[in-house]
Amino acid sequence: MDGRVRVGVAKFASCDGCQLTLLDLEDELLPLLERFEIVEFPEASSVRSAGPYDVLLVEGAISSPDQAREIVELRSRARVLVTIGACATAGGIQALRNWRDHDAMRLAVYPHPEWIESLASATPVRDHVKVDAELRGCPISPAQLRELLAATVIGRRPQLPDDVVCAECKRRGNVCVLAASGTPCLGPVTVAGCGAICPAYGRGCYGCFGPRAGANVASLADRLAQDRGPDEVSRLFAGFTGWADEFRAVVASHGESIDRRQEASDGSH
Amino acid sequence: MLHPTPSPPAPAETQQALDLLPALTDAPAMFLARADLQALIDALGADGRTVIGPVVGEGAIELAPISRVDDLPIGRKDEQSAGRYRLGEVSGDRVFDFGVGPASAKRWTFPPQVPLLRAERDADGHATFRAVAVDRAPVAFIGLRACDLAALAVHDRVFRDGPFVDDDYASRRRDQLVVAVECAAAASTCFCTSMGSGPQVRSGFDLSLAELDAGFLVRVGSPAGAALAARLPLRPARPAEVGAAEASVAAVAASIGDPVATDGLPERLIAGHGSPRWAEIAERCLSCANCTLVCPTCFCTSVVQRSDLVGAESVSERTWDTCFSPGFARVAGGSFRARPQDRYRQWLTHKFGTWVEQFGTSGCVGCGRCIAWCPVGIDVREELAVVAPLPAPPLREPPRPAALRFEAAPLGMALPRPTAVSRAGPTTMSVGRIRERRVETADVATLVLDDLDAPLLATRPGQFVMLELPAFPPLPISVSRIGADAIELTIRAAGPATAAIVGLAPGAELGLRGPLGRAWPLERAIGRDVVVVTGGIGLAPLRPLIESLARDRERFRALRIYDGARTPDDLLYRDELRAWAAAGFDVRLTVDRAGPGWSGPVGIVTRQLERETWDGAETIAFVCGPERMIHATADVLSARGVSRDRIWVTLERHMECGVGLCGHCQLGRWFVCRDGPIFSLAELGDSFGREGL
Repeated sequence: MDGRVRVGVAKFASCDGCQLTLLDLEDELLPLLERFEIVEFPEASSVRSAGPYDVLLVEGAISSPDQAREIVELRSRARVLVTIGACATAGGIQALRNWRDHDAMRLAVYPHPEWIESLASATPVRDHVKVDAELRGCPISPAQLRELLAATVIGRRPQLPDDVVCAECKRRGNVCVLAASGTPCLGPVTVAGCGAICPAYGRGCYGCFGPRAGANVASLADRLAQDRGPDEVSRLFAGFTGWADEFRAVVASHGESIDRRQEASDGSH
Repeated sequence: MLHPTPSPPAPAETQQALDLLPALTDAPAMFLARADLQALIDALGADGRTVIGPVVGEGAIELAPISRVDDLPIGRKDEQSAGRYRLGEVSGDRVFDFGVGPASAKRWTFPPQVPLLRAERDADGHATFRAVAVDRAPVAFIGLRACDLAALAVHDRVFRDGPFVDDDYASRRRDQLVVAVECAAAASTCFCTSMGSGPQVRSGFDLSLAELDAGFLVRVGSPAGAALAARLPLRPARPAEVGAAEASVAAVAASIGDPVATDGLPERLIAGHGSPRWAEIAERCLSCANCTLVCPTCFCTSVVQRSDLVGAESVSERTWDTCFSPGFARVAGGSFRARPQDRYRQWLTHKFGTWVEQFGTSGCVGCGRCIAWCPVGIDVREELAVVAPLPAPPLREPPRPAALRFEAAPLGMALPRPTAVSRAGPTTMSVGRIRERRVETADVATLVLDDLDAPLLATRPGQFVMLELPAFPPLPISVSRIGADAIELTIRAAGPATAAIVGLAPGAELGLRGPLGRAWPLERAIGRDVVVVTGGIGLAPLRPLIESLARDRERFRALRIYDGARTPDDLLYRDELRAWAAAGFDVRLTVDRAGPGWSGPVGIVTRQLERETWDGAETIAFVCGPERMIHATADVLSARGVSRDRIWVTLERHMECGVGLCGHCQLGRWFVCRDGPIFSLAELGDSFGREGL
């Protein structure tokens, strides 16, 4: 122990993009290491540690029985547990299977589904253990990760936004794609943090950062359904953070498309 | 950075220019041939200004730097309705045949992000605060409409014309040139006619253009505009050209009609506070804030700290925020506007109602951006008609002058107006050093700060400071003692920032801005019975008042203090309480939960008050504590016969700027930081205790 904050990085069902964000803090990695001892970070080092951790960054959804056991064990060794990214905070893209028949899906994907041990649903870490803080996004924002780490050292509350992507669009000077071209966009109900990247390139927001708590998703879904119909609305909300409560409610109320898509994909196999 | 308004008479040259203005604007209109429009753009940019004008952006007409006529949206038009904007094309070479797009001049006069201060803190606790150099290269606008000019005039009142001046805004505005354009077409979202801001360009411009097929009718609106005109190939306009321009703008006005009834609108909005419509709007409203962000006058901001990893160096940055953010009105313990309907009501009633009393003008200029860019198409014109309907039969008498009231306030209780402040305290950060740290209770400490700038030593009882530890957000803290060479701040460790500050050792330095806000009206207590009611940390802002009462004991009648705390160990200032009792105060202490050695009363502080028998007719009361305790105390005091104009309370709200310019602490027509935080119940009227205000 040398007074540094002991940080661990753990990974469940995910693509590793979020933990790599730590390496994206290139210019500050050296000063960072003066304050943080990174004891567990499989993407960067083969040195392993079983903890304990002052701060444990957890990436990925809980998708298998082993993972469900491991996260409970890790929680007991972490003073502060922070989930990073859409998978860990909302189930991620793999949570799309939660709407579908698990066995049929395994059969469609794997030659030997009997070798696969997976849970019927991919769920956020929050559903399994207590989470102290969340960094949203697919992937997370380097600036927010840095802010979280700095706030940990300084002892202040991390300044994470509670406005929505629209605010970032407007500060950035993007023209609203929803009003100006009718492009479906989840920006009005998605918490800020990405810097409104997609609308800056003429795309609607995919909701990677997930719903702002209490977002009025029903109203936006109604608005979008006027132009696009319920199926497309359902597909739109059932994206990277579709399993988040607010978005899941829209899928539930507009949701036939999920089943139809399943039929379509089953047909293609 | 902010600076207080100097209030000198207008400088001689400004006066001269103003005298000249009628002559200039009465000057005959000139004509600029279409082929010579480039000469105007060149002249605007000639003094090194960046020329900002309309351009075709990603699906909408935006504002951006331009240098050539071809940059302008030649042959383009727009189509706007609630929640919808589409760009179209027309044949011909007309340049300005569209309405306002999502961008306004606000982006250049009041940018989305402005760095304020760079703060540093070394290992010994020394703190420094320095202004960050900001590039404010001068700008010339071309193509602003009458509503845009009105919006600039609104911001001028808010940020430049006092009582506190936003230096960043003022310096950006100082050298700007504005070439306005008369609208040749109205969008379906326009309602400038109702708000009295357009469509005709009347003031706030240097030159104005009215587009005709062959060119532009040019009018001069300022000496700078006259100088500009002198550099252009202009000829006198023909009467037919003047007539065509007038007919065009008249047609625009006629097409808009008068969609919003503005007679008595502020009063009607107050009357509509309880309307069920707010909840209905909230079913549609996304709280996404597109309305406030496209609004050319919305000015709410927050300050964020960007620090290095250890907090040795940080930069505070002001960023556009909005009253629709869930955390905008949050304090430790919750938000004052928790429900989306509260936030929508705050926005609409401020924009069209309380703004008038705060700044002498409506906050709305009728540009319609909030309608076109609302993702779900909420139309303020329709909502106003429902939440604030015209009384039937329609009002015949002229609308009442500016005064707008939550309830009839007694004479002499007008909205407190801070006078122009001649010293630097409220708006500049100075540094104070912790001379001593006194532990009061388990989670409360008093910091004695010295090495202070003079204005801070002139703090009056009840005023507060914005206290800043580098890399932490600034906190509003009431001054708990005012000494000859030091002030004291008593702080409870309620969150990370307060915990860090109360943990500082003597010698450490802190940034202070102040003194801020109103003081307790001590002079009103002369010759009266005085009762002080406090709960917990609420005794801190009242200690300077009590000490003033003690110093001039003979000028007041009975002095009573009712102080409550959670437990005996949480009682603040125990030595002082004993001393005050010895000096003739009737001191009653109460705790919520007794502990070893406590033989006094147990229960909430209001219970104590209820048991008293004194007559409140000649009593003035000063109250501070949690908001619920203030409410209960106010009820008991009223029952005792203390009149509402003699019950003074101090309110807690989210505060960042401390001078009424960031919008967080609004309570109805008040900025609590600037107009309060001390109010009488009579002043607050029925805005006191109303949910979601």
